[in-house]
Amino acid sequence: MTDTETPRAETSYESVDAVLDSLDDEGLDGYSYAYLDEHTKREVRRSILKAVAIPGHQVPYASRPMPLARGWGTGGIQASLSILGPTDTFKVIDQGSDESVNAANIRRLARDTAAVETTTDTTDSDVIQTRHRIPEEALSEDQILVLQVPVTDALRKVDPSDAANRRRHAHKNYGKMWVHLYENVVEWGEINIASRYPTMVAGRYLMDPSPIPRWDVPKLDDADNLFVFAAGREARLYAVPPNTDVEPLAFEDREFQVERFGDATCQFCGSDDTYLVEIEGDDGETRYVCNDTSFCEKRQDDPELAKDHHRERDVSWGPGTPSEGADATGGDGT
Amino acid sequence: MGYVAVKAGEELIERAEELFEKQRLEGETDPVSVDQLDEQLGRLSAQAMSEGGLYAPRLAALAVKQAQGDTVEASFLLRAYRSTLERWDETTVVDPAEMVTTRRVSPAYKDIPGGQILGPTKDYTQRLLDFDLDGEDDPEDPTQEWDIGGEEPPDTLDNVMDVLRDQGLVHEPDGPTDDDPADITRDPVTYPAGRDAVLQALARGETGAVTALGYSALRGYGQVHPTLAEVRVGRLPVKIEHPYTGVEATVTSVEVSESEAVVPVYAKRDDPQFAFGYGLTFGRNERKVIAMTILDASIQLDTEDEPAENPEFVLNTVDGLDSFGFIEHLKLPHYVTFQSILDRIRAIRENESVGAGTADESSRDADEQLAEASDD
Repeated sequence: MTDTETPRAETSYESVDAVLDSLDDEGLDGYSYAYLDEHTKREVRRSILKAVAIPGHQVPYASRPMPLARGWGTGGIQASLSILGPTDTFKVIDQGSDESVNAANIRRLARDTAAVETTTDTTDSDVIQTRHRIPEEALSEDQILVLQVPVTDALRKVDPSDAANRRRHAHKNYGKMWVHLYENVVEWGEINIASRYPTMVAGRYLMDPSPIPRWDVPKLDDADNLFVFAAGREARLYAVPPNTDVEPLAFEDREFQVERFGDATCQFCGSDDTYLVEIEGDDGETRYVCNDTSFCEKRQDDPELAKDHHRERDVSWGPGTPSEGADATGGDGT
Repeated sequence: MGYVAVKAGEELIERAEELFEKQRLEGETDPVSVDQLDEQLGRLSAQAMSEGGLYAPRLAALAVKQAQGDTVEASFLLRAYRSTLERWDETTVVDPAEMVTTRRVSPAYKDIPGGQILGPTKDYTQRLLDFDLDGEDDPEDPTQEWDIGGEEPPDTLDNVMDVLRDQGLVHEPDGPTDDDPADITRDPVTYPAGRDAVLQALARGETGAVTALGYSALRGYGQVHPTLAEVRVGRLPVKIEHPYTGVEATVTSVEVSESEAVVPVYAKRDDPQFAFGYGLTFGRNERKVIAMTILDASIQLDTEDEPAENPEFVLNTVDGLDSFGFIEHLKLPHYVTFQSILDRIRAIRENESVGAGTADESSRDADEQLAEASDD
């Protein structure tokens, strides 16, 4: 990140008509570098620093209205625009895909206002904004993953009140969540939480890791990179700094489980160690494909490519990485 | 293919925008002008200003035009634009009694100081479709023959609530906790929220949401059934301190709707006083401002017994941009999370069908069961 501050284009208008005239201009003339004004970006960066200092703790910040709809990545884009500099390379993925229209829209906003290079290659990027996935390729210490967050508090499942939940976090009182998990097991024999799996950060704060699949939760543990979680609508930021202990809640006799794909492999690259999604064909057949489209393309060229191929040492990165073995039940507590 | 897994994401976005724009232009009539919207459909732009939290009639009319009449979309455009503007100054506090009032009714009293001012309203008009409006040309001002002589209107109109307050019948509002009022656009709301934050959130709330929640209290899901002391529409002066001389100067005025009500809920047994509620918002929107009054009164009760009395519930649901964005985000792809949900339901179905299945079975067993389950 370069903390470059391009001087704001000074514009003052004589009248409302002059404002309207200026709006006829194409592009984003008259807007600040990276859209947000410098005060706002500084405030967001300070909030991120505070979030890094208290891993897993939700930091309120004054989320600004953005030219994107709330709930569509406005928190993520505020965090990204606040930390991006013109020498950075930016990647945006939505549900694992660089080509989703919403990812394309966010990428377009960053490129047009912050003049950053964009890429689809995880290993080439400095900052990655993502919705609901952590890439399959292991991130490094000079990368930041910005996750879009729809619901900031893991406790929302058990109590809708923010005031009550803030008290619970202050007292590290997570009894109600444990009871919820226990009731799950009693009722269903399993913990019935699919994504947004409640996760303890540094043994202190319970965190909603955003709706990443359980598959991605182990990647948060002792990672080399910084994770920034940003919610625009709910105006909260939180973070998992590098090398932080992150542990999904589970019981000794009901271990944390990642998604299982049976014997399925990716139809395009043949991978059996990546998060797959089902697609229903016109012929009625169900096929499985890699969800991380960028890594799938690399695997199509080189099926043996490791998830930490670009790193100098073996990196533990979720289920199916070499140091985890082929343990399909995943988890990080084994 | 659908809306993912296509290489041309940005081109698709542009095409979708162009198709939307085409919808506005494919009719045979002239494009509607911003002036026409401002002058003839002012209720739309007023609603956009109210929910956008920016008083700028021309920009609001432009936003309504760009949004093809969707007021929430228009308020979204205004807010996104507003957030990029520098703040130059803050206005001084203004007394609503100074409002240049075009309409003021007091349901609480038959007669009031300054009188009832009916003003322009459709309240007592029979709602019959006026077919003459379709195809009208050169309409005449129906008031042009009016004889408007007589006495000068008063400079200020005292609020009816002041009469009740002078008699000690109305609970006094808590004073401000510090010098600067809260600004929820700069400081995120945390709970318990101060009344200043509550009023700001309600004033910016989506008209339909504020109306529905206000109605919920009236409908029985709450204790507040107010008597309106008054409902007022008019222009409120905007005053600033002159940067050099420090003298207060009126720079412009804004059209606002205001409402104040007493509520027969008594806070103290030994000194029974009415509770009260207040509402004020940009533009003419009496429905919203009365509902805001009910919600302010309900929230001041702070019981959490009913949705309208729970400040967290109300503030977390009234904002049009929040609800609009999150409701509509469900259109975005969700196949990653759905895959995860499928995994959970299949696991549970396996447990149900094989009886005492446990989570620590080997993955191979689970895989075999998965194959069975998927045959169902």
